[in-house]
Amino acid sequence: MVYGVNDMASAVPAYIVPRRDPRTQSEGVVEGYAQTALRWPAQPLARRAHGPSELTRPRLAPRLKASGANLAGQGGTRALGQLIDVRVSVVDEDGAPLTGAMVEIWHCNAAGKYIHPNDSNDAPADLNFYGAARLITDRDGRIDLRTVKPGAYPVPDSGGWWRPPHIHFSVWGRVWLSRLVTQMFFPGEPLNERDAILNAVRDPQARGRCIARFVPQGGNALVYEYDLVVRGRNAAAELP
Amino acid sequence: MKRLVPTAEMTLGPFFPPEFAAGANDLAAGVQGEAIEISGRVVQADGRSLDNVVLEIWQADAEGRFDNPAFSGWGRAATDSSGIYVFRTIRPGAIQGRAPHINFLLLYSGLMRQLQTVMYFDDSPDPLLESMTERSERLVAKQEGANRYRFDIRLRGEGETPFFDD
Repeated sequence: MVYGVNDMASAVPAYIVPRRDPRTQSEGVVEGYAQTALRWPAQPLARRAHGPSELTRPRLAPRLKASGANLAGQGGTRALGQLIDVRVSVVDEDGAPLTGAMVEIWHCNAAGKYIHPNDSNDAPADLNFYGAARLITDRDGRIDLRTVKPGAYPVPDSGGWWRPPHIHFSVWGRVWLSRLVTQMFFPGEPLNERDAILNAVRDPQARGRCIARFVPQGGNALVYEYDLVVRGRNAAAELP
Repeated sequence: MKRLVPTAEMTLGPFFPPEFAAGANDLAAGVQGEAIEISGRVVQADGRSLDNVVLEIWQADAEGRFDNPAFSGWGRAATDSSGIYVFRTIRPGAIQGRAPHINFLLLYSGLMRQLQTVMYFDDSPDPLLESMTERSERLVAKQEGANRYRFDIRLRGEGETPFFDD
Protein backbone atom coordinates (compact mmCIF):
# COMPACT_ATOMS: atom_id res chain seq x y z
CA MET A 1 0.00 0.00 0.00
CA VAL A 2 2.16 2.83 -1.25
CA TYR A 3 -0.59 4.85 -2.89
CA GLY A 4 0.90 4.35 -6.34
CA VAL A 5 4.04 6.33 -5.63
CA ASN A 6 6.51 3.61 -6.43
CA ASP A 7 4.43 1.90 -9.09
CA MET A 8 6.81 3.01 -11.82
CA ALA A 9 10.08 1.15 -11.67
CA SER A 10 12.88 3.69 -11.64
CA ALA A 11 16.67 3.62 -11.59
CA VAL A 12 16.62 6.45 -9.06
CA PRO A 13 16.17 5.19 -5.50
CA ALA A 14 13.14 6.70 -3.83
CA TYR A 15 13.53 9.18 -1.02
CA ILE A 16 13.02 7.11 2.09
CA VAL A 17 12.54 7.78 5.77
CA PRO A 18 13.67 4.64 7.62
CA ARG A 19 11.81 3.59 10.74
CA ARG A 20 12.93 4.85 14.11
CA ASP A 21 15.12 2.59 16.24
CA PRO A 22 13.83 2.22 19.83
CA ARG A 23 17.41 2.11 21.10
CA THR A 24 18.19 5.55 19.76
CA GLN A 25 14.72 7.13 19.99
CA SER A 26 12.77 7.19 23.23
CA GLU A 27 8.98 7.06 23.33
CA GLY A 28 6.17 5.89 25.54
CA VAL A 29 5.95 6.11 29.31
CA VAL A 30 9.27 7.11 30.86
CA GLU A 31 10.21 6.41 34.46
CA GLY A 32 10.65 9.56 36.47
CA TYR A 33 8.64 11.68 34.03
CA ALA A 34 5.07 11.47 35.31
CA GLN A 35 3.37 13.34 32.45
CA THR A 36 4.36 10.68 29.93
CA ALA A 37 1.87 8.29 31.60
CA LEU A 38 -0.97 10.76 31.01
CA ARG A 39 -0.07 11.75 27.47
CA TRP A 40 1.60 9.01 25.45
CA PRO A 41 -1.05 6.93 23.62
CA ALA A 42 -1.97 3.64 25.26
CA GLN A 43 -2.74 2.06 21.87
CA PRO A 44 0.17 1.01 19.66
CA LEU A 45 1.05 3.52 16.98
CA ALA A 46 -0.30 2.45 13.59
CA ARG A 47 2.05 1.86 10.69
CA ARG A 48 1.39 3.34 7.29
CA ALA A 49 3.00 3.51 3.88
CA HIS A 50 4.66 6.76 2.83
CA GLY A 51 3.37 8.64 -0.20
CA PRO A 52 3.29 12.23 -1.40
CA SER A 53 1.37 13.39 1.66
CA GLU A 54 4.16 12.28 3.99
CA LEU A 55 7.17 12.77 1.72
CA THR A 56 6.73 16.33 0.50
CA ARG A 57 8.35 19.38 1.96
CA PRO A 58 6.30 21.94 3.85
CA ARG A 59 6.80 25.54 2.74
CA LEU A 60 7.26 27.53 5.92
CA ALA A 61 7.66 30.90 4.23
CA PRO A 62 6.00 33.32 4.43
CA ARG A 63 4.60 32.34 7.81
CA LEU A 64 7.88 31.97 9.67
CA LYS A 65 10.55 34.66 9.55
CA ALA A 66 14.19 34.38 10.53
CA SER A 67 15.58 36.46 13.41
CA GLY A 68 19.05 37.52 14.50
CA ALA A 69 21.68 35.02 15.61
CA ASN A 70 22.70 36.82 18.81
CA LEU A 71 20.58 36.28 21.91
CA ALA A 72 23.28 37.54 24.26
CA GLY A 73 23.15 41.20 23.22
CA GLN A 74 26.15 43.39 23.78
CA GLY A 75 27.54 46.30 25.80
CA GLY A 76 25.03 47.83 28.19
CA THR A 77 22.29 45.46 27.11
CA ARG A 78 24.28 42.24 27.43
CA ALA A 79 22.39 39.37 29.00
CA LEU A 80 23.65 38.00 32.31
CA GLY A 81 25.58 34.76 32.15
CA GLN A 82 28.43 33.03 30.40
CA LEU A 83 28.79 33.90 26.72
CA ILE A 84 28.67 30.86 24.46
CA ASP A 85 28.86 30.24 20.73
CA VAL A 86 27.00 27.17 19.47
CA ARG A 87 28.05 25.97 16.01
CA VAL A 88 25.29 23.78 14.66
CA SER A 89 25.44 21.50 11.64
CA VAL A 90 22.26 20.06 10.09
CA VAL A 91 22.60 16.96 7.88
CA ASP A 92 20.41 14.05 6.77
CA GLU A 93 21.03 10.34 7.34
CA ASP A 94 23.43 10.27 4.39
CA GLY A 95 25.43 13.08 5.96
CA ALA A 96 24.35 15.50 3.23
CA PRO A 97 24.04 19.06 4.58
CA LEU A 98 20.66 20.77 4.57
CA THR A 99 20.91 24.15 2.91
CA GLY A 100 18.33 26.78 3.81
CA ALA A 101 16.76 24.73 6.59
CA MET A 102 14.86 26.64 9.26
CA VAL A 103 16.03 26.10 12.82
CA GLU A 104 14.18 27.37 15.88
CA ILE A 105 16.04 27.71 19.16
CA TRP A 106 14.80 28.51 22.65
CA HIS A 107 16.20 28.24 26.15
CA CYS A 108 15.94 29.69 29.63
CA ASN A 109 18.17 32.46 30.96
CA ALA A 110 21.30 31.99 33.06
CA ALA A 111 19.17 31.79 36.22
CA GLY A 112 16.94 29.04 34.84
CA LYS A 113 13.90 31.18 33.92
CA TYR A 114 12.05 30.99 30.58
CA ILE A 115 10.36 33.93 28.91
CA HIS A 116 7.12 31.92 28.83
CA PRO A 117 4.40 33.20 31.21
CA ASN A 118 3.65 29.61 32.30
CA ASP A 119 7.11 29.27 33.89
CA SER A 120 6.46 29.34 37.64
CA ASN A 121 10.10 28.84 38.66
CA ASP A 122 11.10 31.34 41.33
CA ALA A 123 14.10 32.66 39.42
CA PRO A 124 14.69 36.19 38.13
CA ALA A 125 13.92 37.31 34.60
CA ASP A 126 16.71 39.06 32.69
CA LEU A 127 15.43 42.14 30.87
CA ASN A 128 18.34 41.84 28.43
CA PHE A 129 17.60 38.27 27.49
CA TYR A 130 14.86 36.99 25.20
CA GLY A 131 15.46 33.27 24.72
CA ALA A 132 14.07 32.56 21.26
CA ALA A 133 15.68 32.68 17.80
CA ARG A 134 14.87 31.42 14.33
CA LEU A 135 17.79 30.91 11.95
CA ILE A 136 18.38 29.56 8.42
CA THR A 137 21.23 27.18 7.66
CA ASP A 138 23.86 28.31 5.16
CA ARG A 139 24.89 26.34 2.07
CA ASP A 140 26.92 23.99 4.25
CA GLY A 141 23.97 23.30 6.52
CA ARG A 142 25.36 25.39 9.36
CA ILE A 143 24.18 28.04 11.77
CA ASP A 144 26.15 29.90 14.44
CA LEU A 145 24.33 31.03 17.56
CA ARG A 146 25.72 33.52 20.09
CA THR A 147 23.93 33.35 23.42
CA VAL A 148 24.47 32.84 27.14
CA LYS A 149 24.62 29.46 28.80
CA PRO A 150 21.21 28.49 30.19
CA GLY A 151 20.88 27.64 33.88
CA ALA A 152 19.49 24.50 35.49
CA TYR A 153 16.04 24.60 37.03
CA PRO A 154 13.78 22.40 39.18
CA VAL A 155 10.78 20.65 37.59
CA PRO A 156 7.64 21.46 39.64
CA ASP A 157 5.99 18.58 41.54
CA SER A 158 8.61 16.12 40.34
CA GLY A 159 10.17 15.01 43.61
CA GLY A 160 13.45 16.82 43.15
CA TRP A 161 14.15 16.48 39.43
CA TRP A 162 16.31 19.31 38.12
CA ARG A 163 16.68 19.84 34.39
CA PRO A 164 20.34 20.20 33.41
CA PRO A 165 21.28 23.19 31.27
CA HIS A 166 19.89 22.57 27.79
CA ILE A 167 18.88 24.35 24.58
CA HIS A 168 15.74 23.41 22.64
CA PHE A 169 16.04 22.94 18.87
CA SER A 170 13.32 22.60 16.26
CA VAL A 171 14.28 21.92 12.65
CA TRP A 172 12.52 21.00 9.44
CA GLY A 173 14.20 18.45 7.24
CA ARG A 174 13.56 17.66 3.59
CA VAL A 175 10.05 16.24 4.04
CA TRP A 176 7.10 16.32 6.45
CA LEU A 177 8.33 13.18 8.24
CA SER A 178 11.79 14.67 8.82
CA ARG A 179 10.59 17.10 11.48
CA LEU A 180 13.02 17.10 14.42
CA VAL A 181 12.44 18.70 17.82
CA THR A 182 15.05 17.97 20.44
CA GLN A 183 17.27 19.33 23.20
CA MET A 184 21.03 19.97 23.29
CA PHE A 185 22.92 19.32 26.51
CA PHE A 186 26.30 20.55 27.80
CA PRO A 187 29.26 18.28 28.54
CA GLY A 188 30.39 17.67 32.11
CA GLU A 189 27.13 18.61 33.80
CA PRO A 190 26.42 16.35 36.80
CA LEU A 191 22.67 16.77 36.25
CA ASN A 192 23.01 15.06 32.85
CA GLU A 193 23.48 11.73 34.64
CA ARG A 194 20.06 11.87 36.27
CA ASP A 195 17.92 13.68 33.72
CA ALA A 196 14.83 11.61 32.84
CA ILE A 197 14.63 13.05 29.33
CA LEU A 198 18.27 12.62 28.27
CA ASN A 199 18.55 9.17 29.85
CA ALA A 200 15.39 7.91 28.15
CA VAL A 201 17.64 7.49 25.10
CA ARG A 202 18.87 3.97 25.80
CA ASP A 203 21.84 3.75 23.45
CA PRO A 204 24.86 5.41 25.14
CA GLN A 205 26.32 6.64 21.85
CA ALA A 206 23.04 8.15 20.71
CA ARG A 207 22.68 9.76 24.12
CA GLY A 208 26.21 11.11 23.85
CA ARG A 209 25.39 12.77 20.54
CA CYS A 210 22.74 14.83 22.33
CA ILE A 211 25.56 16.48 24.29
CA ALA A 212 27.46 19.28 22.55
CA ARG A 213 31.23 19.09 22.13
CA PHE A 214 33.31 21.72 23.90
CA VAL A 215 35.88 23.28 21.57
CA PRO A 216 38.76 25.04 23.39
CA GLN A 217 39.26 28.50 21.83
CA GLY A 218 40.87 31.74 22.86
CA GLY A 219 37.93 34.11 22.42
CA ASN A 220 35.59 35.68 24.94
CA ALA A 221 32.91 33.02 24.51
CA LEU A 222 32.95 29.30 25.20
CA VAL A 223 32.52 27.42 21.92
CA TYR A 224 30.41 24.30 21.44
CA GLU A 225 29.73 22.18 18.38
CA TYR A 226 26.50 20.26 17.90
CA ASP A 227 25.23 18.10 15.03
CA LEU A 228 21.59 17.59 14.13
CA VAL A 229 20.75 14.60 11.92
CA VAL A 230 17.27 14.75 10.41
CA ARG A 231 15.45 11.65 9.19
CA GLY A 232 15.60 10.57 5.57
CA ARG A 233 18.01 9.46 2.86
CA ASN A 234 18.55 9.66 -0.89
CA ALA A 235 18.05 13.40 -1.15
CA ALA A 236 18.98 13.30 -4.82
CA ALA A 237 15.96 11.12 -5.53
CA GLU A 238 12.85 12.65 -6.98
CA LEU A 239 10.33 13.41 -4.31
CA PRO A 240 6.91 11.98 -5.08
CA MET B 1 26.87 4.29 1.87
CA LYS B 2 27.31 5.24 5.50
CA ARG B 3 24.19 5.97 7.42
CA LEU B 4 24.01 8.41 10.28
CA VAL B 5 21.60 7.77 13.10
CA PRO B 6 18.94 10.48 13.32
CA THR B 7 19.25 12.72 16.35
CA ALA B 8 16.95 11.54 19.13
CA GLU B 9 13.78 13.59 19.29
CA MET B 10 12.98 14.95 22.73
CA THR B 11 9.98 16.54 24.31
CA LEU B 12 9.02 20.09 23.34
CA GLY B 13 8.61 20.93 27.02
CA PRO B 14 5.98 23.31 28.40
CA PHE B 15 7.68 26.58 27.47
CA PHE B 16 7.58 26.79 23.68
CA PRO B 17 7.94 30.53 22.97
CA PRO B 18 4.54 32.17 22.49
CA GLU B 19 5.60 34.17 19.46
CA PHE B 20 6.75 31.02 17.65
CA ALA B 21 3.18 29.76 17.70
CA ALA B 22 1.45 33.08 17.15
CA GLY B 23 0.01 34.03 13.78
CA ALA B 24 0.95 30.83 11.96
CA ASN B 25 -2.51 29.23 12.07
CA ASP B 26 -4.09 31.06 9.10
CA LEU B 27 -3.27 29.37 5.79
CA ALA B 28 -6.33 30.66 3.96
CA ALA B 29 -5.60 34.36 3.55
CA GLY B 30 -5.35 35.30 -0.13
CA VAL B 31 -5.52 31.70 -1.28
CA GLN B 32 -7.87 30.17 -3.85
CA GLY B 33 -10.18 27.53 -2.49
CA GLU B 34 -12.97 26.91 -0.04
CA ALA B 35 -12.00 28.58 3.24
CA ILE B 36 -12.63 26.41 6.29
CA GLU B 37 -12.02 26.58 10.02
CA ILE B 38 -10.80 23.58 11.98
CA SER B 39 -10.78 23.68 15.74
CA GLY B 40 -10.59 21.18 18.55
CA ARG B 41 -9.62 20.47 22.10
CA VAL B 42 -6.55 18.49 23.13
CA VAL B 43 -6.92 16.46 26.33
CA GLN B 44 -4.82 13.95 28.25
CA ALA B 45 -5.75 10.60 29.85
CA ASP B 46 -7.71 12.07 32.78
CA GLY B 47 -9.66 14.39 30.47
CA ARG B 48 -7.77 17.52 31.47
CA SER B 49 -7.37 20.11 28.71
CA LEU B 50 -3.79 20.89 27.81
CA ASP B 51 -2.32 24.39 27.49
CA ASN B 52 0.35 25.30 24.90
CA VAL B 53 0.27 22.03 22.95
CA VAL B 54 1.85 22.76 19.57
CA LEU B 55 0.03 21.38 16.52
CA GLU B 56 1.45 21.60 13.01
CA ILE B 57 -0.42 20.72 9.84
CA TRP B 58 0.59 19.91 6.27
CA GLN B 59 -1.93 19.57 3.48
CA ALA B 60 -2.45 19.72 -0.27
CA ASP B 61 -4.06 22.66 -2.04
CA ALA B 62 -7.62 22.67 -3.39
CA GLU B 63 -6.47 20.63 -6.42
CA GLY B 64 -4.67 18.03 -4.33
CA ARG B 65 -1.22 19.44 -5.13
CA PHE B 66 1.64 19.74 -2.66
CA ASP B 67 3.80 21.88 -4.96
CA ASN B 68 1.66 24.99 -5.32
CA PRO B 69 3.92 27.99 -4.64
CA ALA B 70 0.86 30.16 -3.98
CA PHE B 71 -0.26 27.99 -1.07
CA SER B 72 2.15 27.10 1.71
CA GLY B 73 0.08 24.16 3.01
CA TRP B 74 1.84 24.36 6.37
CA GLY B 75 0.57 25.89 9.58
CA ARG B 76 1.05 25.88 13.31
CA ALA B 77 -1.23 26.55 16.25
CA ALA B 78 -0.86 26.27 20.01
CA THR B 79 -3.71 25.40 22.35
CA ASP B 80 -5.00 28.06 24.73
CA SER B 81 -5.55 27.50 28.45
CA SER B 82 -8.82 25.68 27.59
CA GLY B 83 -6.95 23.24 25.37
CA ILE B 84 -8.45 24.71 22.20
CA TYR B 85 -6.60 25.18 18.91
CA VAL B 86 -7.87 26.81 15.71
CA PHE B 87 -6.67 26.65 12.09
CA ARG B 88 -8.03 28.64 9.17
CA THR B 89 -7.21 27.00 5.90
CA ILE B 90 -8.76 25.75 2.66
CA ARG B 91 -10.34 22.42 1.99
CA PRO B 92 -7.70 20.20 0.35
CA GLY B 93 -8.42 18.24 -2.80
CA ALA B 94 -8.05 14.50 -3.20
CA ILE B 95 -4.48 13.26 -3.68
CA GLN B 96 -3.43 10.30 -5.84
CA GLY B 97 -5.89 7.73 -4.60
CA ARG B 98 -6.43 9.28 -1.21
CA ALA B 99 -9.41 11.15 0.16
CA PRO B 100 -8.94 14.81 1.16
CA HIS B 101 -7.07 14.93 4.45
CA ILE B 102 -4.84 17.07 6.62
CA ASN B 103 -1.71 15.76 8.34
CA PHE B 104 -1.37 16.71 12.00
CA LEU B 105 1.80 16.65 14.10
CA LEU B 106 1.68 17.17 17.87
CA LEU B 107 4.49 18.32 20.13
CA TYR B 108 4.20 18.70 23.89
CA SER B 109 5.60 18.23 27.32
CA GLY B 110 5.30 14.55 28.25
CA LEU B 111 5.61 13.41 24.63
CA MET B 112 9.14 12.11 24.14
CA ARG B 113 8.72 12.60 20.42
CA GLN B 114 6.24 13.96 17.91
CA LEU B 115 2.89 12.28 17.40
CA GLN B 116 1.38 12.07 13.92
CA THR B 117 -2.26 11.77 13.05
CA VAL B 118 -4.53 12.55 10.08
CA MET B 119 -7.84 14.40 9.86
CA TYR B 120 -10.45 13.43 7.25
CA PHE B 121 -13.58 15.35 6.26
CA ASP B 122 -15.83 12.35 5.78
CA ASP B 123 -15.56 8.60 5.33
CA SER B 124 -14.79 8.69 1.60
CA PRO B 125 -12.69 5.71 0.51
CA ASP B 126 -9.07 6.08 1.58
CA PRO B 127 -6.56 3.25 2.07
CA LEU B 128 -5.13 4.68 5.28
CA LEU B 129 -8.53 5.40 6.81
CA GLU B 130 -9.76 1.93 5.90
CA SER B 131 -6.69 0.33 7.45
CA MET B 132 -7.71 1.76 10.83
CA THR B 133 -10.89 -0.41 10.90
CA GLU B 134 -12.90 0.24 14.06
CA ARG B 135 -10.88 3.28 15.12
CA SER B 136 -11.25 5.10 11.82
CA GLU B 137 -14.19 7.22 13.00
CA ARG B 138 -11.88 9.07 15.39
CA LEU B 139 -10.01 10.41 12.37
CA VAL B 140 -13.09 11.97 10.76
CA ALA B 141 -13.81 15.55 11.82
CA LYS B 142 -17.31 16.58 12.84
CA GLN B 143 -18.87 19.21 10.64
CA GLU B 144 -20.30 21.98 12.80
CA GLY B 145 -21.32 24.51 10.16
CA ALA B 146 -21.03 25.25 6.48
CA ASN B 147 -17.26 25.64 6.64
CA ARG B 148 -16.47 24.68 10.22
CA TYR B 149 -15.02 21.39 11.41
CA ARG B 150 -14.30 20.05 14.87
CA PHE B 151 -11.35 17.68 15.38
CA ASP B 152 -10.78 16.88 19.05
CA ILE B 153 -7.65 15.01 20.05
CA ARG B 154 -7.40 12.71 23.05
CA LEU B 155 -3.79 11.71 23.60
CA ARG B 156 -4.52 8.68 25.78
CA GLY B 157 -7.42 6.77 27.29
CA GLU B 158 -11.04 6.05 26.38
CA GLY B 159 -11.73 7.24 22.83
CA GLU B 160 -8.04 7.82 22.20
CA THR B 161 -7.13 9.39 18.86
CA PRO B 162 -5.29 6.96 16.59
CA PHE B 163 -1.68 7.99 15.98
CA PHE B 164 0.81 6.81 13.40
CA ASP B 165 4.31 5.55 13.97
CA ASP B 166 5.50 7.81 11.15
